[in-house]
Amino acid sequence: MATEPAMQRPRFTHVPGDKTKLDMLHYMKLVREIEDRIERKLYRQGRIVGGVYVGLGQEAISVGTAVHMEKDDVVAPSHRDMGVFLMRGITPRRIIAQYMGRRAGLTRGRDGNMHMGDMDYNVIAFVSHLGDNVPVAAGCALVFKQKNQKRVALCYNGEGATSRGDWHEGINFASIHKLPVVYFVNNNAYAYSTPVSLQMAIEDVAMRAPGYGIPGEVVDGNDILAVYDAAKRAVDRARSGEGPSLVEFKTFRMTGHSAHDDAGYVPPGMFEEWKQKDPIPRFERQLIEEGVLTGKRRDEMQTECAKIVDDAVDWAEQQPYPAPEELTRDVYYEG
Amino acid sequence: MESTVKPSTSDERYTLTAPADLELDRTGYLELYYFMALNRRLEERLSNLYRQNKVVGGLYSSLGQEGCSVGTAYALERGDFLAPMIRNLGSFLVRGVDPVHIIGQYCARAIGPTGGKDLNVHFGWIDRGLVSPISMLASLVPVFAGIALEMKMKGKKNVALTYVGDGATSTTDFHEGMNFAAVHKLPLIIIVENNGYAYSTPTAMQFNVKDFVVRAQGYGCYGEIVDGNNVMAALDVTRRARERCINGGGPVIIEAKTFRRKGHAEHDDAGYVPAALRAEWEAKDPLDAYRRFLDMHRIVESAAEIEEIDARINQMLDAAVDEALASPFPDPSTLMENVYGD
Repeated sequence: MATEPAMQRPRFTHVPGDKTKLDMLHYMKLVREIEDRIERKLYRQGRIVGGVYVGLGQEAISVGTAVHMEKDDVVAPSHRDMGVFLMRGITPRRIIAQYMGRRAGLTRGRDGNMHMGDMDYNVIAFVSHLGDNVPVAAGCALVFKQKNQKRVALCYNGEGATSRGDWHEGINFASIHKLPVVYFVNNNAYAYSTPVSLQMAIEDVAMRAPGYGIPGEVVDGNDILAVYDAAKRAVDRARSGEGPSLVEFKTFRMTGHSAHDDAGYVPPGMFEEWKQKDPIPRFERQLIEEGVLTGKRRDEMQTECAKIVDDAVDWAEQQPYPAPEELTRDVYYEG
Repeated sequence: MESTVKPSTSDERYTLTAPADLELDRTGYLELYYFMALNRRLEERLSNLYRQNKVVGGLYSSLGQEGCSVGTAYALERGDFLAPMIRNLGSFLVRGVDPVHIIGQYCARAIGPTGGKDLNVHFGWIDRGLVSPISMLASLVPVFAGIALEMKMKGKKNVALTYVGDGATSTTDFHEGMNFAAVHKLPLIIIVENNGYAYSTPTAMQFNVKDFVVRAQGYGCYGEIVDGNNVMAALDVTRRARERCINGGGPVIIEAKTFRRKGHAEHDDAGYVPAALRAEWEAKDPLDAYRRFLDMHRIVESAAEIEEIDARINQMLDAAVDEALASPFPDPSTLMENVYGD
């Protein structure tokens, strides 16, 4: 039976333009490339100082959310949100230098891996005490509100961090004072080795939102267009003074907790199942279908990302380690 | 000090009803009255002693919340654990703590449960399943989750019950303890006494929801609202929560709607509380309402029967005050006792 194509209702309220789509794909691929280089190569070659935590399989979340940030917005990423750093304009050179413990890294060789931030880019440093940045982000948003600024704070956490008191206190405070902040939860099924079923007695973290009197939404975190849409609505809501939101992205951590963890506790089949949902090939297929991307261009993008990371590694490795006499710098405030 | 059952003066008067399936004999009804009245009168005595400078340190009143303390504690059984909070003197009384010891504790006498080392309601009585509250509100939620975990692991048919105010729900400990109990389906009952104010912070500045109990679904546990000024409703809801817990149903959050009719402590005049709000809740006094209930439903034959209980309480408290004040302060040689595990 010949039928006209069914009317396609737009899946989302907010759909990016073609240029933004390609930009997002570039950043997703760059995140994948830089993290792959760090975790699978440099770390194993002993060229990284300390541990390595990556967001393999979660690239759509950091990229699809951070794309909505304006210049003066503030962000507190988690350890699986490399896309946030890159989209804020922090260069791959400085990031690799950070991982190599060099003076040119974001912490000037004082701290390792994702424990980095840069207030020139409004990126608040991540600390190991997960959930700690929830009240910090609420505090930033309180300043924006008190100063009548149209700025927004974004804060990222895994589902494990939602069991922490800081998470609870920060969200409660943000809700009472209707602060311009958005809380993103990367629900990637495991907090180190703890599965969600031992983390909470509910299906979705978003079910906590009504208890705080804020909107909560569950989103496919491996579909960048879904991430883009949900994040845009939450950021707009915050910016227009309607208060905080909780957006939960369902995804999967495609590695161990860190590079030293083989994740033997993850039941067989899970990685294979989630590999099928890999956000990058999924987005590429979509863009090729839409005619926004060609196979050739896709491969070129891959090469470009590899070159950027090659350059970053070469550059970083030539950078000096911090000198011993700098040891006490940054320990106390020097004005 | 003597109170009498007064005739009804208004049709809109706050009237209590007994929950449909409340199984309580006449002795039970009278015991509830006894403990509530004892709670009220004991706190009145303590207030007088405070003004006479006999009380050392602060005094925290549960005026208007006696029904909640007494009803919830009365639902417990032998082997259950309970930790009162600052406004649950009634729970101590139901669990069998003698007023002499409570007055001794407030007046820092050696006869008090902490031997004069700590003050007011900062005491427990482990033999009676009473765990001492401390000033860091809600810190007992994870402690009680731990006690409930032990009950579950050992297959005991018991529950752990503790109280928090509306203010304590905003703390780390509340969230972490509640979540842990929900994940492990522990026999934990949390009574959230929503009494309108956390010190001077009204509930509207404490959480952005009308009823706190909606958070229960965010933890994946059962929650229920109860009229905290109805001692029978408090008893009934806690009994049902207890059944649910010992049958493996996981923790229960009970939000008791009530009101703190005095300041945060005796030194606080609570000038920040609107007079009309206070008046509204004075009309819902749990003790007066329960007296009317007993009279209206002919559970007591006459006002004289209630007056006899009141008189007995007064006599007991006269003796308790005398005994506590006649007892010595702790001897300096006991200073280091109970500081380290001996």
